Amino acid sequence: MNRFAIVVCCLLLLTLNAAHAQDASTTIDQTIADIFEQWSEESEQVPDYQTFYEELQFLAENPINLNQTSREELSKMLFLSDIQVENILAYLYQYGPMENIYELQLVEGLDMTDIRRMLPFVVVRKGKTTPDKIYCYDVLNYGKNELYLMFNRDVETRQGYRMIVSTVEDSISRGKNYLGSPWYHSAKYRFHFKDRILAGLTCEKDAGESFFGSAHKGYDSYSGYLQMNRFGIFKTIVLGDFRANFGQGLVMKSDFSMGKSSYVLNVVSRNEGLKKFSSTDEYNYFRGGGATIQLTENWETSFFYSNKMIDADTAGGFFSSIYKTGYHRTENELIKKHTIRQQVAGGNISWRLLWLQTGFTFVHTIFDRALVPEKTTYNHFYFSGKNQNTAGWNYRIHWQKMNFFGEAAVTNNFHPAFLNGFTLSPISLVNLVAVYRYYSPDYDTFYASALSETSRINNESGLYVGAEINPVKKWKISAYADSYRFQWPKYGIDAPSVGKDYLFQTDFAASRRLSMYWRFRHSNKPGNILQDSSIMPVIEIVKKNSLRYQLSYSYENFSFKTVAEGNMVQKGKKAGYTYGLTAYQDLTYAFAFLPLKIDFRYQFFDAVAYENRLYAYEKDVLYAFSIPMYYGAGSRYYLNLKYELNRQFSLWFKIAQTVYADDREEIGSGKEKIFGNKITDVKFLLRCNF
Amino acid sequence: MKKMLCLLLIASTASQVFSQISSVLPVSSSIAGTSVANTGVRTEFQNPAMLGYAEFSEIGIQHENRFALSELSTNSFQTLLSTNAVNADFSFSYFGYSLYHEMMAGMGFGRNFSDKFALGVRFNYYMAYFSASNSYRGALLPQIGLSYRFSSIFSLGFSTFNPFQTNIKTDFTQKRISSIFSLGTEYYFSPELVWLTQIDREISSNYRLATGFEYQILQQISLKLGAYNAGYLVPCVGCGMCWNHFVLNINCELHPLLGVNSFAGLRYVFSR
Repeated sequence: MNRFAIVVCCLLLLTLNAAHAQDASTTIDQTIADIFEQWSEESEQVPDYQTFYEELQFLAENPINLNQTSREELSKMLFLSDIQVENILAYLYQYGPMENIYELQLVEGLDMTDIRRMLPFVVVRKGKTTPDKIYCYDVLNYGKNELYLMFNRDVETRQGYRMIVSTVEDSISRGKNYLGSPWYHSAKYRFHFKDRILAGLTCEKDAGESFFGSAHKGYDSYSGYLQMNRFGIFKTIVLGDFRANFGQGLVMKSDFSMGKSSYVLNVVSRNEGLKKFSSTDEYNYFRGGGATIQLTENWETSFFYSNKMIDADTAGGFFSSIYKTGYHRTENELIKKHTIRQQVAGGNISWRLLWLQTGFTFVHTIFDRALVPEKTTYNHFYFSGKNQNTAGWNYRIHWQKMNFFGEAAVTNNFHPAFLNGFTLSPISLVNLVAVYRYYSPDYDTFYASALSETSRINNESGLYVGAEINPVKKWKISAYADSYRFQWPKYGIDAPSVGKDYLFQTDFAASRRLSMYWRFRHSNKPGNILQDSSIMPVIEIVKKNSLRYQLSYSYENFSFKTVAEGNMVQKGKKAGYTYGLTAYQDLTYAFAFLPLKIDFRYQFFDAVAYENRLYAYEKDVLYAFSIPMYYGAGSRYYLNLKYELNRQFSLWFKIAQTVYADDREEIGSGKEKIFGNKITDVKFLLRCNF
Repeated sequence: MKKMLCLLLIASTASQVFSQISSVLPVSSSIAGTSVANTGVRTEFQNPAMLGYAEFSEIGIQHENRFALSELSTNSFQTLLSTNAVNADFSFSYFGYSLYHEMMAGMGFGRNFSDKFALGVRFNYYMAYFSASNSYRGALLPQIGLSYRFSSIFSLGFSTFNPFQTNIKTDFTQKRISSIFSLGTEYYFSPELVWLTQIDREISSNYRLATGFEYQILQQISLKLGAYNAGYLVPCVGCGMCWNHFVLNINCELHPLLGVNSFAGLRYVFSR
């Protein structure tokens, strides 16, 4: 009995200890989640949350010393605009090192919300520090190891997992079904020693993929990396899987890009160079090695080589498109697995002064078979062949209160792409940005990612203008206007067309506990109107107006969020309006004397047509993100739990269910079809630090 | 028989008309059903977070009549126990007549957190009589509520009833039970005049937008005026009276097709 009591007491003490330790990590997690939510809400492309989270989490563990920082380092805080980064650097240049962190309030263009968001990621230390020598003993004894195990599945059975009872077509039917279990599973191992040595291994099996069987001997996908920073003249060395980002992204940006979002000033790409790839994305990365060398104080060069197999249908000896989903669940999908060898070699050389930064990027891509897209009107100019060269020149100039930036790029068919812009802060309360882009219809490269209406960087020209104004204390107004033109037909748009996109947001931060915003967005997007009788393509403008109100409120360990959002869509001038509406209530509670945090949401949605579909970011287990799409009528609710057992082990559990109330008898289609009107998703994640 | 058919016809029409808020929930004593953010009123089966604001124990009964037909009446009562830690209530309602009736009993808990916000949850057991199978069928229908008080004059309320969209199935039929999301505000222009707004969404019905004003003319008497729209406009009037420990609320609303709905509720507040 005594022994039992001692064990219980020890467990209780461990739990209480963990409860206190979780405060800081909870704040950082919450900060990262808030930033990601705001960024992804109005983004056309959903950013890679795993990379996003890992980078900010790493930054929280290795905060930036503001007295010894650079533009490149500050740019890692993705929520800061280019102007804000420049303002911090200008302040440090003008007034010297900061005495304490509260001096950030004196920097122009930083409001309290920005400073609060920065706090977990920055420190103020006096004196210059040089990189320490690294000893094996220190690496082995003081390096941090983390292991993540994640499981996920739907409770309902999808059509692809059902046993098909057939006599004649038995073998054909089996060939079309999923080969594996409905469990998604991933295992990640991470190691880092300060910010100098980073290593990791990621293994993943998607739902429907077999684990051990004729098709797989273990996981479907493996990915590993080693990154070393500041080793002699080497600024960075990466081996294994990595990503590369140079200039404004017209030539090379395999990472997530800054697109149109409610962070209206954050459309300027950040030159991050080479860095590890640690996500579970099965396409958008390089496999090989690379290095960045600091040649002199102002000159820097990077080079890399990648050799990896990619997925494609190679029937006929060539391939028409790259299969990017990473799913290998059926025999048909497995046939496409790793059929094409892609080699990519490239480099960048940059010259940096205090007021000027310029660089040149070159990339050469080789496939072992020819890419021959099936020719239709919209893809007439898409790349075809085995080899592609892409080169680009980028610049950034800081002059008084203005920053000019841009990039010019060209592929080996000599068709160009340009992006030029400036940011301006005429007075501390007003920040402006303007970007003009021109991407030729013939400009088509594989790893470009920049400001664009669509995910493909070609066949587009446009002007983007954004402004952020702090008219009075606690209030902020953000707005952007984007006007674009497609010179050639696009997918789903069978003629040259123009479009417009406007966003207006007002934020009110009444106090640290209470904040709210109103957001209005209007877009005129071109689209095909299906008319059987017409010979010529008919393009109509799809008008969409959406309005969103969000209220966030916190008190002690509770936090609440109430959101109401609606939209109206008109497809063509003669058509009527259709509407979509959603509202939800979030409740979060972090127990004071237990290392447990609970998130709960109840939401209803009602979107009459597909064009009225709604998205809502929701909290998830660590490293996972969820922005489900809502179409039809129904409700959704979830419960998300985080429990920190002790300093070594943490658990996450999430259960979410969507129930449709529009009399549908099945959800989804094909092998993803579920019979019934409910879909339930369960996730479990275990983290072990050692 | 004719009478029965007429009743069934009216009942089915009424249930269609009232599809925006099912008769499963009794109407509230707030004007135009704007109770979700009304911090001053406790009513049977309304936002359970409001239980948290009760300073004293209460007991109440209420009667709601639709279109002057005794068969379309809901009777309900509530006992509310106020304690230092958490306030609890027990509510019961009965709707219908011998061939068709529904009953619901619920146990609710609400707590006010430092007057900043209140949280509440209620566990309801709903039971309906099906004459075709001569049997009762029931289901557990939870109710969750929240109210935040941003200042002494403005608060916001949220509640959901039957969030999991539970339905009742018999061998012959399936009865759909409403699943309701409600969001509302309360704003005090002065200590005497309060403005209430509310939006309700029954998951497979129309939206219901409601608004109302309640004005305290004298310490004992208040007047209420409001309206709601659920595809048609329904004006509402009411009054409230209190003397000693008793509080009486009387509300009426005029449906454009079916006539008058009336409501009366009497409460006894302990230790005021």
